[in-house]
Amino acid sequence: MLLEEALALGRLNFTVMEMLDAANTGTYGVPAPTNVRITPVAGKAILVSGHDLLDLHNILEAVKGTDIKVYTHGELLPAHSYPKLAASPNLAGNYGSAWQNQQLEFAAFPGPIVMTSNCLIEPQPMYRNRIFTAGPVGWPGVRHIADGNYAQVVQAANALPGFPETLPEKTILIGFGRQAVLGVADKVIDAVKSGSVKHFFLIGGCDGAAPGRNYYTDFAEQAPKDTVLLTLGCGKFRFNMEDHGTIGGLPRLLDIGQCNDAYSAVQIALALAKAFDCGVNDLPLSLVISWFEQKAAAVLLTLLALGVRNVRLGPSLPAFLTPNLLNVLVEKFGIQPITTAEADIAASLNRSAA
Amino acid sequence: MEITLVTRDGEQLQFPCAETDHVLGAAEAAGFFLPAMCHEGTCGQCRAHVSSGDYKMGQHDPAMLPAADPAAVLLCRCTPQQDMTVDLPYDRAQVLRYRVPVRQAVIESLEPAWQGAMALTLRLQPDPETGAAAEFSPGQYMELTLPVTDVRRAYSLANLPNWEGRLDFLIRLKPGGTFSTWLGEQAEVGDILTVRGPLGSFVLDEVSVRPRCFVGGGCGLAPILSMLRHLGDFQDSQPTHLVFGANREAEMLPAAEIDALRAALPQLGTTLAVSQPENGWQGFHGTAPAALEAYLEQAGEAMDIYACGPPKMLEVLEELVQKRGRGDRLIAEQL
Repeated sequence: MLLEEALALGRLNFTVMEMLDAANTGTYGVPAPTNVRITPVAGKAILVSGHDLLDLHNILEAVKGTDIKVYTHGELLPAHSYPKLAASPNLAGNYGSAWQNQQLEFAAFPGPIVMTSNCLIEPQPMYRNRIFTAGPVGWPGVRHIADGNYAQVVQAANALPGFPETLPEKTILIGFGRQAVLGVADKVIDAVKSGSVKHFFLIGGCDGAAPGRNYYTDFAEQAPKDTVLLTLGCGKFRFNMEDHGTIGGLPRLLDIGQCNDAYSAVQIALALAKAFDCGVNDLPLSLVISWFEQKAAAVLLTLLALGVRNVRLGPSLPAFLTPNLLNVLVEKFGIQPITTAEADIAASLNRSAA
Repeated sequence: MEITLVTRDGEQLQFPCAETDHVLGAAEAAGFFLPAMCHEGTCGQCRAHVSSGDYKMGQHDPAMLPAADPAAVLLCRCTPQQDMTVDLPYDRAQVLRYRVPVRQAVIESLEPAWQGAMALTLRLQPDPETGAAAEFSPGQYMELTLPVTDVRRAYSLANLPNWEGRLDFLIRLKPGGTFSTWLGEQAEVGDILTVRGPLGSFVLDEVSVRPRCFVGGGCGLAPILSMLRHLGDFQDSQPTHLVFGANREAEMLPAAEIDALRAALPQLGTTLAVSQPENGWQGFHGTAPAALEAYLEQAGEAMDIYACGPPKMLEVLEELVQKRGRGDRLIAEQL
């Protein structure tokens, strides 16, 4: 009974992610492969973190016509792949990494910071005056912007020093939503059929500060060169600054987007299954999901509700997963707690060979 | 030697320190900037308690160490003789990761606030490294250095953090005092001072849901004014009371100031206490601690009491809190 409720929640979350996808792609265009600068440009700067594309859009509107540069942080990295956001000359690049590093990264950022929907950690004295919240985020004594008017953030950007110099350009490639991946579906299918691509790993989910999360870095580094790495969520910052090379004319690391772009990942899997005339669970695809909080639990329930099996879950399991519950997940859905990157890669490849 | 600092909230900071180096300097070399001011063993800002390990104390003012704690040290004068563990009297959040900024500020105005006190307003000069903004937490202070001298004094900010670089201070004129004499006789609008800050851990615990009571006298009001203005700015709704003490009516906070606070913070209650009033004083007759005692007698639940004043006043307040036995929390800054 409870299980049925949980799966219903997973189905509901699928609908919600579908609506969000329609809203984001409908408003800002279909994500396209994009090189994103990850080094600063000299000048006044605003940092926007969290998930909310509308908040970012409002901030870009507020700085229109000025020299202020806007940087994304964490889960807003995928914003650069939406054509209507990328068109803004003020959108300069991505700064920093995932949410759990915010206290260090925000302290070192030379301008105001806007935290949209995401985990806010206690703002440190070093940046407490210059951090603003929007949407569902809030903290006592931190200014909240409820009306989409970012004038005071612009004022703060002008009063703060900004970046003193432009560092040598470094970029990373993002923007492999379902349309981009399926747009080259022929290449992908050929690569699998010819044997140049042996397997797909979807390594994604939420990142956190706990030890043990190096597993995902190790996994991405140790995966054989004839495998493709798909990623989404903020877990990607464990390995997305590395060069993973190319395969069959495609980059080996394909960044699908935010955690809620799990919708896009599911569409990719369904389309590939159709092309290969098999079920999603029969594809040479392994899901390696990192868990941190409720959002990831909802996405996991969506995957289970869709009948996706053999998800590797880590780095540690949620405390609410009692041994009995875990047994149900293992038996009914083939959930596997992670072991080591090496062993799990080998086991995944054996499954696809079998 | 290996040094382990333990903050009030239980976080551990570890770094090496040579036998010939001071713990404070070694902490800074490791990227931990602890509250400190004079670096000469005289101001008492870097006081801490050694829980294990031998050490030596260099030249310092013994009055800055409490007689009741033989293991108290000033970290700016403390050199390790063994691995040491040191308890810090503040939370991890008060340990900065970067050196406190040093900037130039120009005197914008200088006016009498009330009898024996000046209101000083400085404007930070924009520079490429730090920008133009005045960033601090209400309750914090800045260290001011007089032009072409090493004379440094710490004064609390009375205004709110702002993007225009404005710093407001209330400064008591101490007869014969170096800074007071300069301020009273030489300082002019347009003079440039060096300011270092923000500093200090006397800040609001905004996560607490307790009613708040603020106690201050004279220029001890400055950080409290900043906190009250902040609560008003954020439309805080918790019960809030201000006890302000003065010796004479002429030293009392101007009525217009109180009206302005109440306009932003409608629930603000006030007890204005004068210890040596003239005939006809309508407010409380007595000291700030006596006024607080009278207020606490009719107050119910446990409160957060924020106080800024001389050491003696703070001792009396501590006794009051103990006597009441309601679990009140005293958050204090020594003037």
